[in-house]
Amino acid sequence: MSKLTDDLEGILASVAPAGIQYTRRTDAKGVGSAWCRLSSKSDLLRVATFLKKEGARLSTITILQPKAPSAPPPKEGETPVVPTFFGGTPHDGKTFEISYHFDMDGDTLTVVAYVPHGGDVDSLTPLFRAADWPEREMMELYSIIVHAHPDPRRLFIDPAIDGAVLERLIPFSALANSATTKGLWEQILAQTGGK
Amino acid sequence: MSTFTIPVGPLHVALEEPMYFRVDVQGETVTNVDIHAGHVHRGIEYLVTKRNVFQNIVLTERICSLCSNSHPQAYAMGIEQIAGLTVPPRGEYLRVIADEIKRVASHLFNVGVLAHLVGFESLFMHVMEVREMMQDVKESVFGNRMDIGANIIGGVRYDITPENAAYLKEQLDRLEPAIAEITEIYRTNGSVLGRTKGVGVLSYEDAINCSVVGPVARASGINYDVRIKAPYSAYPDLEVPVHTLSDGDVWSRAMIRLAEAATAIDIIRQCLAKLPDGPTSCTTERPPIPAGEAVAKCEAPRGELIYYVRMTDSPRPERVKWRVPSFMNWDALRFMLKGAKISDIAIVVNSIDPCISCTER
Repeated sequence: MSKLTDDLEGILASVAPAGIQYTRRTDAKGVGSAWCRLSSKSDLLRVATFLKKEGARLSTITILQPKAPSAPPPKEGETPVVPTFFGGTPHDGKTFEISYHFDMDGDTLTVVAYVPHGGDVDSLTPLFRAADWPEREMMELYSIIVHAHPDPRRLFIDPAIDGAVLERLIPFSALANSATTKGLWEQILAQTGGK
Repeated sequence: MSTFTIPVGPLHVALEEPMYFRVDVQGETVTNVDIHAGHVHRGIEYLVTKRNVFQNIVLTERICSLCSNSHPQAYAMGIEQIAGLTVPPRGEYLRVIADEIKRVASHLFNVGVLAHLVGFESLFMHVMEVREMMQDVKESVFGNRMDIGANIIGGVRYDITPENAAYLKEQLDRLEPAIAEITEIYRTNGSVLGRTKGVGVLSYEDAINCSVVGPVARASGINYDVRIKAPYSAYPDLEVPVHTLSDGDVWSRAMIRLAEAATAIDIIRQCLAKLPDGPTSCTTERPPIPAGEAVAKCEAPRGELIYYVRMTDSPRPERVKWRVPSFMNWDALRFMLKGAKISDIAIVVNSIDPCISCTER
């Protein structure tokens, strides 16, 4: 028996006035998973407040930059059309798709917000303590601004390394400050002049 | 009484894994804890997007050693949802057997380290020796002691021969009384009780607030086990009791783990008795994986492990995100350690069964 009730879509739609796109599926063992894509990220706090009241638990947050779909080159004289996500955020390969995975007593409801590159999103940490570390991780992996996070320090990455590490390639030896045998050995050789 | 800040870690707080705590103390009582993580951050979430679907089974197994079976399992469950693959019944039972063998070994390891931190070295060595029976099983059945490589997309890689099943049953028969004896020691021994009863308490309200999972949640009275709440593999066909306690102290968490180790033995026996015939995986070829996204959860030894997988037209995933149970449980240390004595810090930290390689990826 799925805990994602049939009227959930209607309730979520009334909580998020800008509009939602809702899909639900149930696996062979009866475990439900649903996706609620928000048309506007400004509805996120309202939806989260509702889910908190319903006793949902925030499992984790996924953030990614979906690759732009390949399109044929525009004909001469036409302006290229940028494809968009639900709600009109450009699907340009840089937009952030943030999925908030909520556990509803075993079933999973994923609330998705689209944020254009360089944009910000409201922090859920004041509502869910469990959002604290995932949001800090989001901020160091991508150049996203989490608005009103109570403790926006680095989580895993050293402050000496520039942010948004998942948007570019960083050699492991640089990331670990040459803390590899080879890197360390090269440093020693350089200091002793190869003797 | 003077107030000052002491560093605890990053090395050797409870295990030989690095985590750094800045602890504010008044006299010898902890008033606040600040956690500094990142010493073993390896960027595996990035690496996963540079390998194809099948290579990632190998990579995800290497995120952590103690719950190494749960990672490829949850990852495979996600891919199977996207591709619409159905694991054959024998494969599902074999997945449960692998899972529960790892659970016994993981729980005994944590409970053993507790004895070491209490200073009861002979008990520590005894528990580790008992755990060695399960290590022998892993080596005999899977060919490896930690990374057992049981899962593939669509099923499992290994099979249990009648000879293996007989050996496994024999080991379980030896293990069961040994775990019962260890449980009795933890229930009654004064040295253990004195250091663990009423120490590092996490109330039910704080546990809900911190969203803790696994034995830490169940020791604080939260009746949540993924095997029951979001059934997967063969668990719906098996009898899986959920153990809960209400005190939320270090002792309760140890007792939950011992009870779950005993239960795991029973679950393996149920699987061996019911083990259906047939193939162990739904395909011998590498199946095509279409575009799509899925969320998969399983109950790792430390609690709920959740995977999110997104596939596009590329053979490499666009994103794989996972959240390990330890990731949630660190936050609870702020509540457990408030008012604790400095000498209890290591015992309390160990009681969440921390896994740092998992947490930082």
